[in-house]
Amino acid sequence: MDIDLTQPKMGFFTDVTLCIGCKACEVACKQWNQLPSDGYALSGNSYDNTNRLSSTTWRHVAFVEQMDRETPAASRWMMMSDVCKHCTNAGCFEACPTGAIVRNEFDDVYVQPDICNGCGYCVPSCPFGVVAVQPKAGVAQKCTLCYDRQKDGLEPACAKSCPTDSITFGPVDELRAKAQARVEALRERGTEVRLYGVDGEETKDVGPLNAFFLIPDRPEVFNLPPKPVLPSRFQPAAYTAGLAAALAMALVGAAVFRPSRERA
Amino acid sequence: METTAGSGQPHGVAFGASGNFSPDAVAASLARGDGGFGRAQETYYDHPILRKAHWRWEIVGYFFVGGASAGSAALASFASQSDDPGDRRLVRNARYTALIGSALSGALLVKDLGRPERFLNMLRIVKLKSPMSVGVYALSSFSTVAGIEAVRQARADGVVPVDPFGWIPPALIAPVKAISTALMASYTGVLISATAIPVWYRGRRHIPAIFVLSGVAAGAALQNVLLALTGPPTATSRKLEIVETVAALAEAALLLHYERAAGEAGNALFAGPRGSKLKTWTLGVGTALPLLLSLPSLVRPGAHNKPHRVRTLLTAACALAGGYVLREAMVYAGRDSADDPRAYLRHPE
Ligand code: SF4
Ligand code: SF4
Repeated sequence: MDIDLTQPKMGFFTDVTLCIGCKACEVACKQWNQLPSDGYALSGNSYDNTNRLSSTTWRHVAFVEQMDRETPAASRWMMMSDVCKHCTNAGCFEACPTGAIVRNEFDDVYVQPDICNGCGYCVPSCPFGVVAVQPKAGVAQKCTLCYDRQKDGLEPACAKSCPTDSITFGPVDELRAKAQARVEALRERGTEVRLYGVDGEETKDVGPLNAFFLIPDRPEVFNLPPKPVLPSRFQPAAYTAGLAAALAMALVGAAVFRPSRERA
Repeated sequence: METTAGSGQPHGVAFGASGNFSPDAVAASLARGDGGFGRAQETYYDHPILRKAHWRWEIVGYFFVGGASAGSAALASFASQSDDPGDRRLVRNARYTALIGSALSGALLVKDLGRPERFLNMLRIVKLKSPMSVGVYALSSFSTVAGIEAVRQARADGVVPVDPFGWIPPALIAPVKAISTALMASYTGVLISATAIPVWYRGRRHIPAIFVLSGVAAGAALQNVLLALTGPPTATSRKLEIVETVAALAEAALLLHYERAAGEAGNALFAGPRGSKLKTWTLGVGTALPLLLSLPSLVRPGAHNKPHRVRTLLTAACALAGGYVLREAMVYAGRDSADDPRAYLRHPE
């Protein structure tokens, strides 16, 4: 197989200020990826009834209501289409013991369903709470960044269906330049916004995200962790503690059961 | 309290001057009774940011059985160095236990995965970066060594006529056994510590050691049960009680230190009904009670303080129950910690 070394990293830029909450992305994703229904429960939280990303919801539109009675003009309603971040240092990828999770030629993080064994270790290892084991299939599932469509030169279904271009798809470098220009344009108009997943505090552990966001508020307002942790960072301390205890107990055991002639 | 909302000075022109996000504004909003308008949005409708693993009793059971098997295997090694003929029964029991325990461990893992062949998916690669992968090889080599040793024991006991593994030099087995047993006892602690779950990663300096100590204590308790059931009390019982007491005391000390070090992030484990259960069972029934029961024979190993069968059984049962509750609390605390967005927002590392 030929490997195209010129293939750039591909990703998403999701601009919260452009989202109108139509959920076309959620629907297009479900349809293209043939994801099962989540039922018809109403959450009572604005228009958000899927609540969060899951094994069957790979795009999720959050509805953030900020109402201000005293200064009604200061009220605002923000929508944000969340998705797997396709991290540079992906916790899920590092944790997977089967090698089911790979980084594909588009630099996106992909779960191979035929290799995943459903152990579920990737789930608590994702610092964004994205990947989940789908109970019926018994394997972990999440956004594939439409690997199949990308292979055919198509853009992912969500980006294709987004009527306002709140979701754009393309080479990550180009998207970043575009996002930076957008931040400056908004700032000129007096709207304070920031990028999440390019070079902020949030990228310290997990690195730049191939799916990054433009947000007009603090990350946690959109359920994005301000400081996502990369779990493998904790391994040295953990192995040291475990092996030190094992060594200590070996010494105790050896002393208690030492041959009696040494004892005299 | 270091909350993200506490420092949440509204920024950006769209926020107005009323300070939507300060705790005072929330209090004011509640006083106005405007049903949540103007409430502080520290998180998104309190939905979890992290996702919990699906792990349930199979994994709790695996952590417990795996730990006790590793503890038993280690005891078999220590006791085989001794020249006290009374310890031979321990060696034999412990070798068979290690094999049965590792088979049971495998069965519990397979039960969790759903289909046996799914276990094999983990054997297609070796990945040192993944504690789960390291653990699979620890379990596999631990089981292999346990099998070889059990067969050797069976040969010595005259149960099987030949030792098919006779050609493998002990010098080769010993290091594999030492490493796989140490990993088997500790890797499950590393596995949960090295995740994004606050209550677990906060305990990364404690949990793996606690698991090792709890495994050794459980192994010693289990061997004491077997000794008491298979023959008259011997001095071996007392040796096991010493090992168990040392391990249990160290475990209790680490657990208490972990509680202090974890602070609020440890609430999922140490607060509420789960915390009470953990303290009652692991510290009370599992550590303090056995200590009290075995104290007489530990301090004055005289004639009338000989190991007593009923007392031994009781002590060991308490220690085993405490060990199981520890593993259970640890696994389920991770679920609650994942569901609490504030734990993750307030305690980043
Ligand atoms: S967001 Fe989570 S699931 Fe997506 S690549 Fe990063 S670690 Fe993996
Ligand atoms: S559930 Fe599947 S993808 Fe996730 S870590 Fe296990 S084998 Fe890998």
